[in-house]
Amino acid sequence: MRQILVIALNTFREAIRNRIFASIVAFAVGLLGLTLAVSAASLHEEVRLMKDVGLFLVSTFSAFLCVFVGANLVYKDIERKTIYTILPKPIHRWQFLLGKYLGVAAMMAVQVTIMGTALASQFWLLEERFSFVMVQAVWLIYVEVLVVSAVALLFSSFSTPFLSGMLTLGLFAVGRFADRLAEVRLKADAGEDQAVLDVASAAARGLSWLAPDLSLYNVTPYVVYDTALPAGFVAQATTSGVLYAALALGLAALLFSRRDFI
Amino acid sequence: MDSSPILSVSDLAKTFSLGFLGAVPGFRRLPISVKGIAQRVEAVRGLSFAVEPGEIFGFLGPNGAGKTTTIKMLMGLIRPSAGSATLLGHALEPGNRRQRERIGYLPEQPYFYEHLRPMEFLDFYGGLFPMTAQERRRRARELLDRVGLGHALDRPIRKFSKGMVQRIGIAQALINAPELVILDEPMSGLDPLGRKEIRDLIFDLKQQGRTVFFSSHILQDVEQICDRVAIVVKGRLRRLGPIGELVEVGAQGTEVLVGGLQAPAVEALRLPATALGAAHRFVVADPAAVDGFVRAALDAGGRLISVTPQRRSLEDIFVEEARGA
Ligand SMILES: Nc1ncnc2c1ncn2[C@@H]1O[C@H](COP(=O)(O)OP(=O)(O)OP(=O)(O)O)[C@@H](O)[C@H]1O
Ligand SMILES: [Mg+2]
Repeated sequence: MRQILVIALNTFREAIRNRIFASIVAFAVGLLGLTLAVSAASLHEEVRLMKDVGLFLVSTFSAFLCVFVGANLVYKDIERKTIYTILPKPIHRWQFLLGKYLGVAAMMAVQVTIMGTALASQFWLLEERFSFVMVQAVWLIYVEVLVVSAVALLFSSFSTPFLSGMLTLGLFAVGRFADRLAEVRLKADAGEDQAVLDVASAAARGLSWLAPDLSLYNVTPYVVYDTALPAGFVAQATTSGVLYAALALGLAALLFSRRDFI
Repeated sequence: MDSSPILSVSDLAKTFSLGFLGAVPGFRRLPISVKGIAQRVEAVRGLSFAVEPGEIFGFLGPNGAGKTTTIKMLMGLIRPSAGSATLLGHALEPGNRRQRERIGYLPEQPYFYEHLRPMEFLDFYGGLFPMTAQERRRRARELLDRVGLGHALDRPIRKFSKGMVQRIGIAQALINAPELVILDEPMSGLDPLGRKEIRDLIFDLKQQGRTVFFSSHILQDVEQICDRVAIVVKGRLRRLGPIGELVEVGAQGTEVLVGGLQAPAVEALRLPATALGAAHRFVVADPAAVDGFVRAALDAGGRLISVTPQRRSLEDIFVEEARGA
Protein backbone atom coordinates (compact mmCIF):
# COMPACT_ATOMS: atom_id res chain seq x y z
CA MET A 1 0.00 0.00 0.00
CA ARG A 2 2.74 2.37 1.04
CA GLN A 3 4.57 1.75 -2.23
CA ILE A 4 1.45 2.52 -4.24
CA LEU A 5 0.98 5.79 -2.42
CA VAL A 6 4.60 6.80 -2.90
CA ILE A 7 4.31 6.26 -6.66
CA ALA A 8 0.93 7.99 -6.80
CA LEU A 9 2.17 11.01 -4.89
CA ASN A 10 5.21 11.32 -7.09
CA THR A 11 3.14 11.02 -10.26
CA PHE A 12 0.78 13.67 -9.02
CA ARG A 13 3.67 15.93 -8.14
CA GLU A 14 5.27 15.36 -11.52
CA ALA A 15 2.07 16.37 -13.29
CA ILE A 16 1.40 19.36 -11.08
CA ARG A 17 4.94 20.69 -11.40
CA ASN A 18 4.70 20.41 -15.14
CA ARG A 19 4.10 23.89 -16.48
CA ILE A 20 2.22 22.48 -19.42
CA PHE A 21 -0.42 21.11 -17.11
CA ALA A 22 -0.96 24.43 -15.36
CA SER A 23 -1.18 26.32 -18.63
CA ILE A 24 -3.58 23.78 -20.15
CA VAL A 25 -5.93 24.09 -17.20
CA ALA A 26 -5.72 27.88 -17.29
CA PHE A 27 -6.41 27.83 -20.99
CA ALA A 28 -9.39 25.52 -20.52
CA VAL A 29 -10.92 27.67 -17.83
CA GLY A 30 -10.37 30.75 -19.96
CA LEU A 31 -11.98 29.10 -22.97
CA LEU A 32 -14.92 28.05 -20.86
CA GLY A 33 -15.43 31.59 -19.57
CA LEU A 34 -15.15 33.06 -23.03
CA THR A 35 -17.61 30.62 -24.58
CA LEU A 36 -20.13 31.23 -21.89
CA ALA A 37 -19.71 34.99 -22.16
CA VAL A 38 -20.18 34.92 -25.92
CA SER A 39 -23.26 32.72 -25.82
CA ALA A 40 -24.72 34.80 -23.01
CA ALA A 41 -24.36 37.95 -25.06
CA SER A 42 -25.67 36.74 -28.36
CA LEU A 43 -28.18 33.98 -27.99
CA HIS A 44 -31.77 33.60 -27.11
CA GLU A 45 -32.13 30.54 -24.95
CA GLU A 46 -28.74 31.35 -23.54
CA VAL A 47 -28.76 29.49 -20.24
CA ARG A 48 -29.76 26.12 -21.66
CA LEU A 49 -27.32 26.33 -24.51
CA MET A 50 -24.59 27.52 -22.20
CA LYS A 51 -25.07 24.51 -19.99
CA ASP A 52 -24.89 22.21 -22.97
CA VAL A 53 -21.75 23.82 -24.35
CA GLY A 54 -20.16 24.16 -20.93
CA LEU A 55 -20.56 20.51 -20.00
CA PHE A 56 -19.40 19.42 -23.42
CA LEU A 57 -16.26 21.51 -23.05
CA VAL A 58 -15.48 20.25 -19.56
CA SER A 59 -15.98 16.59 -20.41
CA THR A 60 -14.21 16.60 -23.75
CA PHE A 61 -11.37 18.63 -22.47
CA SER A 62 -10.88 16.42 -19.42
CA ALA A 63 -10.98 13.29 -21.54
CA PHE A 64 -8.37 14.63 -23.92
CA LEU A 65 -6.12 15.72 -21.11
CA CYS A 66 -6.24 12.36 -19.37
CA VAL A 67 -5.58 10.55 -22.63
CA PHE A 68 -2.56 12.72 -23.15
CA VAL A 69 -1.25 12.33 -19.63
CA GLY A 70 -2.17 8.67 -19.27
CA ALA A 71 -0.62 7.72 -22.58
CA ASN A 72 2.59 9.51 -21.72
CA LEU A 73 3.32 8.81 -18.11
CA VAL A 74 4.17 5.13 -17.97
CA TYR A 75 5.77 5.18 -21.36
CA LYS A 76 8.01 8.04 -20.33
CA ASP A 77 9.22 6.09 -17.31
CA ILE A 78 10.09 3.17 -19.54
CA GLU A 79 11.59 5.20 -22.35
CA ARG A 80 13.71 7.32 -20.04
CA LYS A 81 14.56 4.31 -17.94
CA THR A 82 13.48 5.82 -14.65
CA ILE A 83 11.64 2.57 -14.20
CA TYR A 84 14.97 0.73 -13.98
CA THR A 85 15.59 2.20 -10.56
CA ILE A 86 12.04 1.69 -9.31
CA LEU A 87 11.13 -1.88 -10.21
CA PRO A 88 14.19 -3.45 -8.55
CA LYS A 89 13.05 -1.92 -5.26
CA PRO A 90 10.63 -3.84 -3.06
CA ILE A 91 7.58 -3.11 -5.18
CA HIS A 92 5.44 -5.29 -7.41
CA ARG A 93 4.97 -4.20 -10.97
CA TRP A 94 1.22 -3.98 -10.51
CA GLN A 95 1.75 -1.69 -7.55
CA PHE A 96 3.79 0.61 -9.71
CA LEU A 97 1.07 0.66 -12.34
CA LEU A 98 -1.71 1.23 -9.84
CA GLY A 99 0.31 4.01 -8.22
CA LYS A 100 0.71 5.69 -11.59
CA TYR A 101 -3.02 5.39 -12.19
CA LEU A 102 -3.95 6.85 -8.83
CA GLY A 103 -1.54 9.72 -9.44
CA VAL A 104 -3.24 10.49 -12.74
CA ALA A 105 -6.63 10.15 -11.06
CA ALA A 106 -5.62 12.64 -8.38
CA MET A 107 -4.34 15.08 -10.96
CA MET A 108 -7.52 14.77 -12.98
CA ALA A 109 -9.55 15.32 -9.83
CA VAL A 110 -7.84 18.66 -9.48
CA GLN A 111 -8.47 19.49 -13.10
CA VAL A 112 -12.14 18.45 -13.12
CA THR A 113 -12.72 20.27 -9.85
CA ILE A 114 -11.25 23.47 -11.20
CA MET A 115 -13.26 23.36 -14.41
CA GLY A 116 -16.40 22.11 -12.71
CA THR A 117 -16.23 24.85 -10.13
CA ALA A 118 -15.71 27.46 -12.80
CA LEU A 119 -18.75 26.16 -14.66
CA ALA A 120 -21.01 25.76 -11.63
CA SER A 121 -20.16 29.15 -10.23
CA GLN A 122 -21.10 30.84 -13.50
CA PHE A 123 -24.59 29.38 -13.31
CA TRP A 124 -24.82 30.09 -9.67
CA LEU A 125 -24.17 33.75 -10.45
CA LEU A 126 -26.56 33.68 -13.37
CA GLU A 127 -29.49 31.81 -11.86
CA GLU A 128 -28.80 32.59 -8.23
CA ARG A 129 -29.64 29.00 -7.50
CA PHE A 130 -27.50 26.02 -6.77
CA SER A 131 -28.06 23.13 -9.14
CA PHE A 132 -27.43 19.68 -7.68
CA VAL A 133 -27.75 17.95 -11.04
CA MET A 134 -24.86 20.05 -12.23
CA VAL A 135 -22.66 18.64 -9.46
CA GLN A 136 -23.77 15.13 -10.34
CA ALA A 137 -22.96 15.80 -13.97
CA VAL A 138 -19.46 16.97 -13.10
CA TRP A 139 -18.95 13.89 -10.92
CA LEU A 140 -19.96 11.65 -13.80
CA ILE A 141 -17.50 13.47 -16.03
CA TYR A 142 -14.89 12.50 -13.49
CA VAL A 143 -15.98 8.87 -13.57
CA GLU A 144 -15.63 8.98 -17.34
CA VAL A 145 -12.12 10.34 -16.86
CA LEU A 146 -11.31 7.43 -14.56
CA VAL A 147 -12.39 4.99 -17.26
CA VAL A 148 -10.53 6.72 -20.06
CA SER A 149 -7.33 7.07 -17.99
CA ALA A 150 -7.36 3.36 -17.25
CA VAL A 151 -7.68 2.59 -20.95
CA ALA A 152 -4.86 5.00 -21.76
CA LEU A 153 -2.64 3.39 -19.16
CA LEU A 154 -3.46 -0.05 -20.51
CA PHE A 155 -2.34 0.93 -23.99
CA SER A 156 0.69 2.83 -22.82
CA SER A 157 1.95 -0.18 -20.87
CA PHE A 158 2.82 -1.84 -24.15
CA SER A 159 2.87 0.75 -26.93
CA THR A 160 4.15 4.20 -27.75
CA PRO A 161 2.37 7.36 -26.57
CA PHE A 162 1.21 8.21 -30.06
CA LEU A 163 -0.26 4.82 -30.73
CA SER A 164 -1.80 4.45 -27.30
CA GLY A 165 -3.17 7.99 -27.55
CA MET A 166 -4.80 7.19 -30.88
CA LEU A 167 -6.16 3.86 -29.65
CA THR A 168 -7.58 5.45 -26.53
CA LEU A 169 -9.18 8.26 -28.50
CA GLY A 170 -10.67 5.70 -30.84
CA LEU A 171 -12.13 3.75 -27.98
CA PHE A 172 -13.30 7.01 -26.42
CA ALA A 173 -15.17 7.98 -29.59
CA VAL A 174 -16.76 4.54 -29.84
CA GLY A 175 -17.60 4.66 -26.15
CA ARG A 176 -19.42 7.96 -26.44
CA PHE A 177 -21.70 6.49 -29.06
CA ALA A 178 -21.80 3.06 -27.50
CA ASP A 179 -25.53 3.22 -26.84
CA ARG A 180 -26.27 4.00 -30.47
CA LEU A 181 -23.73 1.56 -31.88
CA ALA A 182 -25.28 -1.22 -29.82
CA GLU A 183 -28.51 -0.69 -31.74
CA VAL A 184 -27.00 -0.59 -35.20
CA ARG A 185 -28.93 -2.73 -37.68
CA LEU A 186 -28.29 -1.47 -41.16
CA LYS A 187 -30.95 -2.17 -43.78
CA ALA A 188 -29.95 -2.62 -47.40
CA ASP A 189 -31.44 -0.29 -49.99
CA ALA A 190 -31.91 -1.38 -53.58
CA GLY A 191 -28.62 -2.58 -55.08
CA GLU A 192 -26.88 -3.03 -51.74
CA ASP A 193 -25.83 -6.32 -50.28
CA GLN A 194 -27.53 -7.06 -47.00
CA ALA A 195 -24.86 -9.60 -45.99
CA VAL A 196 -22.10 -6.96 -46.01
CA LEU A 197 -24.25 -4.60 -43.99
CA ASP A 198 -24.99 -7.34 -41.51
CA VAL A 199 -21.29 -7.88 -40.94
CA ALA A 200 -20.75 -4.15 -40.52
CA SER A 201 -23.62 -3.93 -38.08
CA ALA A 202 -22.28 -6.83 -36.09
CA ALA A 203 -18.85 -5.22 -36.00
CA ALA A 204 -20.33 -1.98 -34.75
CA ARG A 205 -22.25 -3.82 -32.06
CA GLY A 206 -19.13 -5.79 -31.13
CA LEU A 207 -17.14 -2.58 -30.79
CA SER A 208 -19.80 -1.07 -28.60
CA TRP A 209 -19.57 -4.14 -26.43
CA LEU A 210 -15.80 -3.88 -26.15
CA ALA A 211 -15.69 -0.16 -25.50
CA PRO A 212 -16.91 1.32 -22.24
CA ASP A 213 -20.39 2.78 -22.51
CA LEU A 214 -19.47 6.41 -22.00
CA SER A 215 -22.96 7.63 -22.87
CA LEU A 216 -23.75 6.70 -19.27
CA TYR A 217 -21.72 9.65 -18.07
CA ASN A 218 -23.41 12.25 -20.18
CA VAL A 219 -26.43 13.60 -18.34
CA THR A 220 -26.49 16.98 -20.08
CA PRO A 221 -30.25 16.85 -20.87
CA TYR A 222 -31.05 16.57 -17.18
CA VAL A 223 -28.87 19.57 -16.42
CA VAL A 224 -30.29 21.59 -19.28
CA TYR A 225 -33.89 20.98 -18.24
CA ASP A 226 -32.94 20.96 -14.59
CA THR A 227 -34.66 17.70 -13.79
CA ALA A 228 -33.51 15.23 -11.16
CA LEU A 229 -31.70 12.07 -12.25
CA PRO A 230 -33.44 8.73 -11.64
CA ALA A 231 -32.70 7.38 -8.19
CA GLY A 232 -29.56 5.28 -8.05
CA PHE A 233 -28.39 6.37 -11.49
CA VAL A 234 -25.19 8.01 -10.30
CA ALA A 235 -24.28 5.08 -8.06
CA GLN A 236 -24.89 2.63 -10.85
CA ALA A 237 -22.91 4.58 -13.44
CA THR A 238 -20.07 5.00 -10.98
CA THR A 239 -19.97 1.30 -10.19
CA SER A 240 -19.91 0.30 -13.81
CA GLY A 241 -17.18 2.84 -14.55
CA VAL A 242 -15.01 1.68 -11.68
CA LEU A 243 -15.46 -1.94 -12.76
CA TYR A 244 -14.46 -1.17 -16.31
CA ALA A 245 -11.41 0.76 -15.11
CA ALA A 246 -10.44 -2.10 -12.80
CA LEU A 247 -10.70 -4.54 -15.67
CA ALA A 248 -8.52 -2.40 -17.89
CA LEU A 249 -5.96 -1.97 -15.11
CA GLY A 250 -5.96 -5.69 -14.39
CA LEU A 251 -5.20 -6.41 -18.00
CA ALA A 252 -2.51 -3.74 -18.02
CA ALA A 253 -0.93 -5.28 -14.92
CA LEU A 254 -0.93 -8.69 -16.55
CA LEU A 255 0.80 -7.43 -19.68
CA PHE A 256 3.15 -5.33 -17.63
CA SER A 257 4.21 -8.20 -15.38
CA ARG A 258 5.41 -10.22 -18.33
CA ARG A 259 7.39 -7.75 -20.31
CA ASP A 260 11.13 -7.16 -20.53
CA PHE A 261 12.45 -3.67 -19.90
CA ILE A 262 15.11 -3.28 -22.52
CA MET B 1 27.65 -14.10 7.61
CA ASP B 2 27.61 -17.58 6.16
CA SER B 3 30.05 -18.53 3.47
CA SER B 4 27.58 -19.40 0.73
CA PRO B 5 27.76 -16.96 -2.16
CA ILE B 6 25.74 -13.78 -1.86
CA LEU B 7 25.17 -13.77 -5.59
CA SER B 8 25.47 -16.68 -7.92
CA VAL B 9 24.74 -17.11 -11.55
CA SER B 10 24.62 -20.38 -13.40
CA ASP B 11 24.38 -20.89 -17.13
CA LEU B 12 22.59 -17.59 -17.45
CA ALA B 13 21.70 -16.70 -21.03
CA LYS B 14 19.73 -14.07 -22.85
CA THR B 15 18.87 -13.93 -26.52
CA PHE B 16 17.20 -10.83 -27.86
CA SER B 17 14.96 -10.96 -30.87
CA LEU B 18 14.99 -8.06 -33.26
CA GLY B 19 12.82 -7.26 -36.24
CA PHE B 20 9.07 -7.52 -36.50
CA LEU B 21 8.92 -11.30 -36.66
CA GLY B 22 11.19 -11.42 -33.65
CA ALA B 23 8.27 -10.28 -31.56
CA VAL B 24 6.24 -13.36 -32.43
CA PRO B 25 6.61 -15.78 -29.51
CA GLY B 26 6.93 -19.02 -31.48
CA PHE B 27 9.36 -17.54 -33.93
CA ARG B 28 11.69 -16.54 -31.17
CA ARG B 29 12.63 -20.15 -30.56
CA LEU B 30 13.60 -20.95 -34.12
CA PRO B 31 17.30 -20.80 -34.86
CA ILE B 32 16.73 -18.42 -37.73
CA SER B 33 18.42 -15.12 -38.32
CA VAL B 34 17.48 -12.85 -41.18
CA LYS B 35 18.65 -9.28 -41.03
CA GLY B 36 15.82 -6.83 -40.58
CA ILE B 37 13.09 -9.43 -40.33
CA ALA B 38 14.01 -11.69 -37.49
CA GLN B 39 17.40 -11.39 -35.98
CA ARG B 40 18.64 -12.97 -32.83
CA VAL B 41 21.27 -11.40 -30.66
CA GLU B 42 22.88 -13.72 -28.15
CA ALA B 43 23.82 -11.12 -25.60
CA VAL B 44 24.70 -13.52 -22.79
CA ARG B 45 25.59 -17.15 -23.53
CA GLY B 46 25.77 -19.35 -20.48
CA LEU B 47 27.43 -17.32 -17.77
CA SER B 48 28.35 -18.87 -14.41
CA PHE B 49 30.12 -17.27 -11.47
CA ALA B 50 29.61 -16.56 -7.81
CA VAL B 51 30.27 -13.53 -5.63
CA GLU B 52 31.26 -14.11 -2.01
CA PRO B 53 29.95 -12.00 0.84
CA GLY B 54 32.10 -9.01 1.65
CA GLU B 55 34.09 -8.82 -1.55
CA ILE B 56 34.35 -6.20 -4.23
CA PHE B 57 33.75 -7.99 -7.48
CA GLY B 58 34.60 -6.38 -10.80
CA PHE B 59 32.56 -7.32 -13.83
CA LEU B 60 34.66 -6.45 -16.82
CA GLY B 61 34.23 -6.62 -20.53
CA PRO B 62 34.41 -4.58 -23.70
CA ASN B 63 31.38 -2.75 -25.10
CA GLY B 64 28.59 -5.11 -25.95
CA ALA B 65 29.98 -7.95 -23.85
CA GLY B 66 26.67 -8.46 -22.10
CA LYS B 67 27.41 -6.82 -18.76
CA THR B 68 24.32 -4.64 -18.64
CA THR B 69 22.14 -7.48 -19.91
CA THR B 70 23.41 -9.74 -17.13
CA ILE B 71 22.82 -7.11 -14.48
CA LYS B 72 19.31 -6.41 -15.76
CA MET B 73 18.53 -10.09 -15.46
CA LEU B 74 19.81 -10.03 -11.89
CA MET B 75 17.52 -7.11 -11.15
CA GLY B 76 14.49 -8.80 -12.67
CA LEU B 77 14.10 -6.20 -15.42
CA ILE B 78 14.43 -8.78 -18.15
CA ARG B 79 13.85 -12.51 -18.03
CA PRO B 80 16.69 -14.89 -18.68
CA SER B 81 16.27 -17.07 -21.77
CA ALA B 82 17.98 -19.85 -19.84
CA GLY B 83 19.82 -20.49 -16.62
CA SER B 84 19.25 -19.15 -13.18
CA ALA B 85 20.61 -16.81 -10.56
CA THR B 86 20.31 -16.44 -6.82
CA LEU B 87 20.70 -13.27 -4.82
CA LEU B 88 21.13 -13.42 -1.06
CA GLY B 89 20.34 -17.09 -1.17
CA HIS B 90 17.01 -16.78 -2.99
CA ALA B 91 16.11 -17.33 -6.58
CA LEU B 92 15.28 -14.25 -8.63
CA GLU B 93 11.84 -13.05 -7.73
CA PRO B 94 10.70 -9.61 -8.80
CA GLY B 95 8.30 -9.20 -5.91
CA ASN B 96 10.39 -10.78 -3.15
CA ARG B 97 10.45 -8.03 -0.54
CA ARG B 98 12.94 -9.66 1.80
CA GLN B 99 15.41 -9.99 -1.01
CA ARG B 100 14.81 -6.60 -2.57
CA GLU B 101 15.09 -4.73 0.67
CA ARG B 102 18.70 -5.82 0.95
CA ILE B 103 19.86 -4.90 -2.54
CA GLY B 104 20.94 -1.59 -4.04
CA TYR B 105 21.20 -0.97 -7.77
CA LEU B 106 22.50 1.75 -10.03
CA PRO B 107 21.60 1.32 -13.72
CA GLU B 108 23.83 2.29 -16.59
CA GLN B 109 23.39 5.93 -17.65
CA PRO B 110 20.65 6.53 -15.12
CA TYR B 111 17.87 8.98 -15.69
CA PHE B 112 15.66 10.21 -12.94
CA TYR B 113 12.53 12.20 -12.30
CA GLU B 114 13.73 15.67 -13.11
CA HIS B 115 11.11 17.51 -11.15
CA LEU B 116 12.54 16.38 -7.82
CA ARG B 117 15.10 18.07 -5.64
CA PRO B 118 17.77 15.87 -4.05
CA MET B 119 16.06 15.43 -0.68
CA GLU B 120 12.67 14.74 -2.29
CA PHE B 121 14.35 12.38 -4.68
CA LEU B 122 15.90 10.25 -1.95
CA ASP B 123 12.73 10.47 0.10
CA PHE B 124 10.83 9.05 -2.85
CA TYR B 125 13.13 6.06 -3.15
CA GLY B 126 13.32 5.65 0.61
CA GLY B 127 9.54 5.56 0.68
CA LEU B 128 9.61 2.29 -1.24
CA PHE B 129 11.36 0.69 1.74
CA PRO B 130 10.09 0.19 5.24
CA MET B 131 11.75 3.30 6.67
CA THR B 132 10.24 6.03 8.80
CA ALA B 133 10.17 9.58 7.47
CA GLN B 134 12.77 10.55 10.04
CA GLU B 135 15.10 7.73 9.03
CA ARG B 136 14.71 8.64 5.39
CA ARG B 137 15.60 12.24 6.02
CA ARG B 138 18.64 11.40 8.11
CA ARG B 139 19.87 8.82 5.64
CA ALA B 140 19.28 11.16 2.68
CA ARG B 141 21.31 13.96 4.26
CA GLU B 142 24.10 11.58 5.09
CA LEU B 143 24.23 10.11 1.60
CA LEU B 144 24.09 13.46 -0.17
CA ASP B 145 27.09 14.59 1.81
CA ARG B 146 28.82 11.29 1.17
CA VAL B 147 28.47 11.56 -2.61
CA GLY B 148 29.43 15.22 -2.58
CA LEU B 149 26.09 16.80 -3.35
CA GLY B 150 25.66 18.57 -0.04
CA HIS B 151 25.96 21.88 -1.87
CA ALA B 152 23.22 21.23 -4.43
CA LEU B 153 20.22 20.61 -2.19
CA ASP B 154 18.15 23.46 -3.63
CA ARG B 155 18.37 22.40 -7.27
CA PRO B 156 15.95 20.15 -9.12
CA ILE B 157 17.66 17.24 -10.86
CA ARG B 158 16.80 18.85 -14.18
CA LYS B 159 19.68 21.25 -13.49
CA PHE B 160 22.24 18.62 -12.54
CA SER B 161 25.38 17.92 -14.55
CA LYS B 162 26.06 14.40 -15.80
CA GLY B 163 28.44 13.65 -12.96
CA MET B 164 25.95 14.94 -10.42
CA VAL B 165 23.25 12.67 -11.81
CA GLN B 166 25.65 9.75 -11.50
CA ARG B 167 26.35 10.69 -7.89
CA ILE B 168 22.74 11.00 -6.89
CA GLY B 169 22.16 7.69 -8.63
CA ILE B 170 24.70 6.10 -6.33
CA ALA B 171 23.03 7.73 -3.33
CA GLN B 172 19.73 6.25 -4.48
CA ALA B 173 21.29 2.80 -4.65
CA LEU B 174 22.42 3.09 -1.04
CA ILE B 175 19.29 4.56 0.52
CA ASN B 176 18.30 1.25 2.10
CA ALA B 177 21.78 0.45 3.44
CA PRO B 178 21.90 -2.63 1.18
CA GLU B 179 24.02 -5.70 1.90
CA LEU B 180 24.58 -6.26 -1.78
CA VAL B 181 25.27 -3.29 -4.02
CA ILE B 182 25.12 -3.76 -7.78
CA LEU B 183 26.45 -0.89 -9.84
CA ASP B 184 26.47 -0.73 -13.63
CA GLU B 185 29.41 1.46 -14.60
CA PRO B 186 29.40 3.64 -11.50
CA MET B 187 32.36 5.71 -12.65
CA SER B 188 31.12 6.63 -16.08
CA GLY B 189 30.66 10.34 -16.59
CA LEU B 190 32.92 11.27 -13.71
CA ASP B 191 36.13 13.28 -13.78
CA PRO B 192 39.32 11.74 -12.32
CA LEU B 193 38.65 13.21 -8.90
CA GLY B 194 35.07 11.99 -8.96
CA ARG B 195 36.29 8.55 -9.94
CA LYS B 196 38.59 8.45 -6.99
CA GLU B 197 35.77 9.53 -4.70
CA ILE B 198 33.54 6.74 -5.92
CA ARG B 199 36.40 4.29 -5.59
CA ASP B 200 36.84 5.36 -1.99
CA LEU B 201 33.13 5.07 -1.44
CA ILE B 202 33.04 1.54 -2.80
CA PHE B 203 35.96 0.67 -0.58
CA ASP B 204 34.10 2.13 2.42
CA LEU B 205 31.14 -0.09 1.61
CA LYS B 206 33.42 -3.07 1.78
CA GLN B 207 34.78 -1.87 5.12
CA GLN B 208 31.23 -1.77 6.38
CA GLY B 209 30.87 -5.42 5.44
CA ARG B 210 28.81 -4.91 2.31
CA THR B 211 29.34 -6.71 -0.95
CA VAL B 212 29.83 -4.70 -4.12
CA PHE B 213 29.39 -6.04 -7.63
CA PHE B 214 30.15 -3.51 -10.31
CA SER B 215 30.76 -3.43 -14.02
CA SER B 216 33.29 -1.27 -15.74
CA HIS B 217 35.69 -0.96 -18.56
CA ILE B 218 37.87 1.51 -16.76
CA LEU B 219 40.69 -0.74 -15.79
CA GLN B 220 42.46 1.30 -13.16
CA ASP B 221 39.28 1.51 -11.15
CA VAL B 222 38.93 -2.22 -11.12
CA GLU B 223 42.59 -2.91 -10.49
CA GLN B 224 42.76 -0.74 -7.45
CA ILE B 225 39.78 -1.94 -5.48
CA CYS B 226 38.49 -5.28 -6.68
CA ASP B 227 39.17 -8.48 -4.80
CA ARG B 228 38.17 -10.54 -7.80
CA VAL B 229 37.21 -9.83 -11.35
CA ALA B 230 35.36 -11.64 -14.07
CA ILE B 231 36.15 -10.83 -17.65
CA VAL B 232 33.31 -11.33 -20.08
CA VAL B 233 33.63 -11.17 -23.83
CA LYS B 234 30.73 -11.67 -26.21
CA GLY B 235 28.50 -13.04 -23.52
CA ARG B 236 30.95 -15.66 -22.28
CA LEU B 237 33.13 -15.74 -19.20
CA ARG B 238 36.78 -15.60 -20.21
CA ARG B 239 38.55 -15.19 -16.91
CA LEU B 240 37.68 -15.22 -13.26
CA GLY B 241 39.90 -14.75 -10.29
CA PRO B 242 41.70 -12.52 -7.85
CA ILE B 243 43.46 -9.60 -9.47
CA GLY B 244 46.79 -10.87 -8.15
CA GLU B 245 46.44 -14.10 -10.06
CA LEU B 246 45.34 -12.51 -13.29
CA VAL B 247 48.18 -10.01 -13.25
CA GLU B 248 51.37 -11.73 -12.14
CA VAL B 249 53.65 -9.14 -10.69
CA GLY B 250 57.09 -9.02 -12.25
CA ALA B 251 56.23 -11.27 -15.13
CA GLN B 252 57.07 -8.52 -17.53
CA GLY B 253 60.43 -7.64 -15.97
CA THR B 254 61.53 -4.70 -13.84
CA GLU B 255 61.93 -1.17 -15.07
CA VAL B 256 64.99 0.70 -13.82
CA LEU B 257 65.36 4.43 -14.38
CA VAL B 258 68.87 5.82 -14.02
CA GLY B 259 70.07 9.40 -14.44
CA GLY B 260 73.48 10.93 -15.06
CA LEU B 261 74.90 8.11 -17.22
CA GLN B 262 77.37 8.88 -19.98
CA ALA B 263 76.98 7.12 -23.32
CA PRO B 264 79.94 4.67 -22.81
CA ALA B 265 78.56 3.74 -19.38
CA VAL B 266 75.17 2.97 -20.90
CA GLU B 267 76.83 0.74 -23.39
CA ALA B 268 78.78 -1.04 -20.67
CA LEU B 269 75.54 -2.00 -18.91
CA ARG B 270 74.69 -4.14 -21.90
CA LEU B 271 70.96 -3.76 -21.84
CA PRO B 272 68.86 -1.94 -24.40
CA ALA B 273 68.23 1.55 -23.04
CA THR B 274 65.63 4.14 -23.89
CA ALA B 275 66.61 7.75 -23.34
CA LEU B 276 64.07 9.71 -21.36
CA GLY B 277 65.39 13.26 -21.27
CA ALA B 278 68.59 13.12 -19.26
CA ALA B 279 67.75 9.68 -17.83
CA HIS B 280 67.82 6.19 -19.25
CA ARG B 281 65.24 3.47 -18.95
CA PHE B 282 66.19 -0.19 -18.75
CA VAL B 283 64.06 -3.28 -18.41
CA VAL B 284 65.60 -6.16 -16.47
CA ALA B 285 63.85 -9.39 -17.37
CA ASP B 286 65.00 -11.65 -14.53
CA PRO B 287 63.83 -10.48 -11.09
CA ALA B 288 66.96 -12.03 -9.52
CA ALA B 289 69.24 -9.90 -11.67
CA VAL B 290 67.80 -6.54 -10.59
CA ASP B 291 70.10 -6.04 -7.59
CA GLY B 292 73.21 -6.69 -9.63
CA PHE B 293 72.08 -4.38 -12.40
CA VAL B 294 71.34 -1.52 -10.03
CA ARG B 295 74.75 -1.91 -8.38
CA ALA B 296 76.50 -1.88 -11.77
CA ALA B 297 74.59 1.21 -12.83
CA LEU B 298 75.55 3.07 -9.65
CA ASP B 299 79.19 1.99 -10.02
CA ALA B 300 79.15 3.38 -13.54
CA GLY B 301 78.38 6.82 -12.07
CA GLY B 302 74.61 6.70 -12.45
CA ARG B 303 72.00 8.14 -10.12
CA LEU B 304 69.08 5.85 -9.31
CA ILE B 305 65.69 7.40 -10.05
CA SER B 306 63.30 4.49 -9.74
CA VAL B 307 62.89 0.71 -9.76
CA THR B 308 59.44 -0.51 -10.81
CA PRO B 309 58.40 -4.13 -11.24
CA GLN B 310 56.41 -4.38 -14.45
CA ARG B 311 53.24 -6.38 -14.41
CA ARG B 312 50.98 -7.46 -17.08
CA SER B 313 48.22 -4.96 -16.69
CA LEU B 314 44.61 -5.86 -16.79
CA GLU B 315 44.52 -3.86 -19.95
CA ASP B 316 46.82 -6.32 -21.66
CA ILE B 317 44.62 -9.23 -20.62
CA PHE B 318 41.61 -7.33 -21.73
CA VAL B 319 43.04 -6.73 -25.16
CA GLU B 320 44.24 -10.32 -25.46
CA GLU B 321 40.86 -11.71 -24.54
CA ALA B 322 38.96 -9.33 -26.72
CA ARG B 323 41.13 -10.27 -29.68
CA GLY B 324 41.09 -13.96 -28.96
CA ALA B 325 37.32 -14.16 -28.90
N1 LIG C 1 17.16 -4.60 -26.33
C1 LIG C 1 18.07 -5.21 -27.08
N2 LIG C 1 17.72 -5.76 -28.25
C2 LIG C 1 18.63 -6.40 -28.99
N3 LIG C 1 19.91 -6.52 -28.66
C3 LIG C 1 20.33 -6.00 -27.50
C4 LIG C 1 19.43 -5.31 -26.65
N4 LIG C 1 20.12 -4.89 -25.57
C5 LIG C 1 21.38 -5.30 -25.75
N5 LIG C 1 21.51 -5.95 -26.91
C6 LIG C 1 22.76 -6.55 -27.44
O1 LIG C 1 23.31 -7.38 -26.47
C7 LIG C 1 24.71 -7.26 -26.44
C8 LIG C 1 25.16 -6.95 -25.04
O2 LIG C 1 24.73 -5.67 -24.67
P1 LIG C 1 25.01 -5.08 -23.22
O3 LIG C 1 24.32 -3.78 -23.15
O4 LIG C 1 24.66 -6.09 -22.22
O5 LIG C 1 26.57 -4.86 -23.25
P2 LIG C 1 27.54 -4.21 -22.18
O6 LIG C 1 28.55 -5.22 -21.83
O7 LIG C 1 26.77 -3.63 -21.07
O8 LIG C 1 28.22 -3.07 -23.02
P3 LIG C 1 28.70 -1.59 -22.60
O9 LIG C 1 30.04 -1.73 -22.01
O10 LIG C 1 28.75 -0.88 -23.90
O11 LIG C 1 27.69 -1.03 -21.67
C9 LIG C 1 25.05 -6.22 -27.47
O12 LIG C 1 25.45 -6.89 -28.64
C10 LIG C 1 23.78 -5.48 -27.69
O13 LIG C 1 23.69 -5.02 -29.01
MG1 LIG D 1 26.58 -1.77 -20.31
